[in-house]
Amino acid sequence: MLDIRHLKVAYGITEVLRDVSFQVPAGSIVALLGGNGSGKTTMLNTLTGLVRPVSGSITFEGAECAGLPPHGFVRRGICQVPQGREVWPSMSVNDNLELGAATRRDWAGIRSDLDEVYAMFPKLTVHRRRQAGSLSGGEQQMVAIGRALMARPRCLLMDEPSAGLAPAIVGDMVDTILALNRRGLTILLVEQNIGVAAAVAEYAHILQGGEIAFSGPAAGLIDNPAVLRSYLGR
Amino acid sequence: MNLFGRRNVLLALFALAAIAPHFVNTYHLFVCNLILVYVLLSIGLNILVGYAGQLAFANAAMFGIGAYGTGLLQVHFGLPFWLAFPLGAVIATSVGLAISLPALRVSGLYLALSSLAFAQFTQWVFLHWEKVTFGAGGFKTPTVSFAPLPVSKPIGLYYLTLILAAVLFLLAQNLVRSRIGRAFVAVRDGEVAAESLGIDLLRYKALAFGLSGFYAGIAGGIYSAMLNFVSPEGYDLFQMVLQKAMVVVGGLGSVAGSVLGAGAIVALLEALREVKGIQEIAFGAILVVFILFMPGGLVGFLKRKVPGWEEPLHRKGAGSAPAPAAAPAPAAGEARP
Repeated sequence: MLDIRHLKVAYGITEVLRDVSFQVPAGSIVALLGGNGSGKTTMLNTLTGLVRPVSGSITFEGAECAGLPPHGFVRRGICQVPQGREVWPSMSVNDNLELGAATRRDWAGIRSDLDEVYAMFPKLTVHRRRQAGSLSGGEQQMVAIGRALMARPRCLLMDEPSAGLAPAIVGDMVDTILALNRRGLTILLVEQNIGVAAAVAEYAHILQGGEIAFSGPAAGLIDNPAVLRSYLGR
Repeated sequence: MNLFGRRNVLLALFALAAIAPHFVNTYHLFVCNLILVYVLLSIGLNILVGYAGQLAFANAAMFGIGAYGTGLLQVHFGLPFWLAFPLGAVIATSVGLAISLPALRVSGLYLALSSLAFAQFTQWVFLHWEKVTFGAGGFKTPTVSFAPLPVSKPIGLYYLTLILAAVLFLLAQNLVRSRIGRAFVAVRDGEVAAESLGIDLLRYKALAFGLSGFYAGIAGGIYSAMLNFVSPEGYDLFQMVLQKAMVVVGGLGSVAGSVLGAGAIVALLEALREVKGIQEIAFGAILVVFILFMPGGLVGFLKRKVPGWEEPLHRKGAGSAPAPAAAPAPAAGEARP
């Protein structure tokens, strides 16, 4: 579904991604792991058009997407849940969600999708008129996910959804990701937390120094000494 | 609806403004008209700075372009005011749209600097392109005639300004409560998030700059007609500071705040004429006190103290319903599966 080939991304003369290729099959959850500075966030920003690649291709459902502006990616069906949630703090929860549908004009569809998001995160229904900035971290993460869903993506990119959440809530996040996948969403998950990645993803790629250093089934990651050594430095 | 709620206060102000010409002398009528001009300016600036979060310093220049455009079209081409005035506003709007292009690449302090440079450049053109702009001495514009109507020029102009201010106030009010207004706030609150969620920064920044240019152009055209005279110093950096002060004192991100801020600052400047000599110092001191003790501006204060004073991002009763009528036309090739 999402096919990345020989992607090269640089900021000025600093190469961040050298030659990255991997696939995200339709209906799957794929994890992209790596330490700080390995290029994970750059990878996601390239997949949403915020950063333009130097070379290489990004095909989504058979159509070339490299070089599209960010709203072009969203219209094609790829949407990002940004790192650190990035909800619009002074706007209400409801406004945040509605603006997720900024690229859409099918008002009835937006309506029903909004109801669906509230059904999925009942907690947000209570807070719909509250300023998003006043919610807890876990609730803001729900807003960020709901907001991305409002664009009606077919592929969701999640940048460290577990970062900064209380351990008790990380479990809920895992359930949420699995539930989204069951509803047919293809998910590319970028994580620092290898436990979360192993719990949800079928397949994992590890980025190191701008290259894919390891690819394999996610479940085996935790027991793979080579992976732990290269990824966590143990 | 509370008695001192937002709507009632604004309606009362409007009614007061509508009957004012019957009670005041010519000079005070001029001041009232000036307030209305600044209401237009600060609403436009507030859309750009308060809602869309673009820290630009070109509003005084666009005000000047509106005034010069309106004046010069009359002087050089013999156009009547009623044609030159809207054309002047169109010119200011196009300049606003043009300067939104660099704003796509720079933001924050860099945008402040580059827009400041643009404003200085405009000043330079007003001063030195003497063949067209008549240089530092400025030029006189023909007196506006309200011919078929039985009103004098000051009163006619006053009511023209009042009507325009009311209409453009309502336009701004509806705009900020539509999806467009919420997109502005999204760009202000988190540009990267807005961009990555598919909000077209180019479109919304251009719209905000164009709108502020339009409001400033309208204000400039009226101002030139009020004075019958256009010269560069009315559109300099101090003018910009004045407008920024109105927006901040009134309340960033509030259309009603722009009205209150413009009224408060013009009234304050007039009152400070009594203390000639320390006028600027007193003005500065009052501004500092304001920023220290009322960071949300007058509107922030009212929101806290007056029940019923709200600054919603939605139309009353519409709740959260999207506003198809106000939404920009879909771009070509946008069809979704």
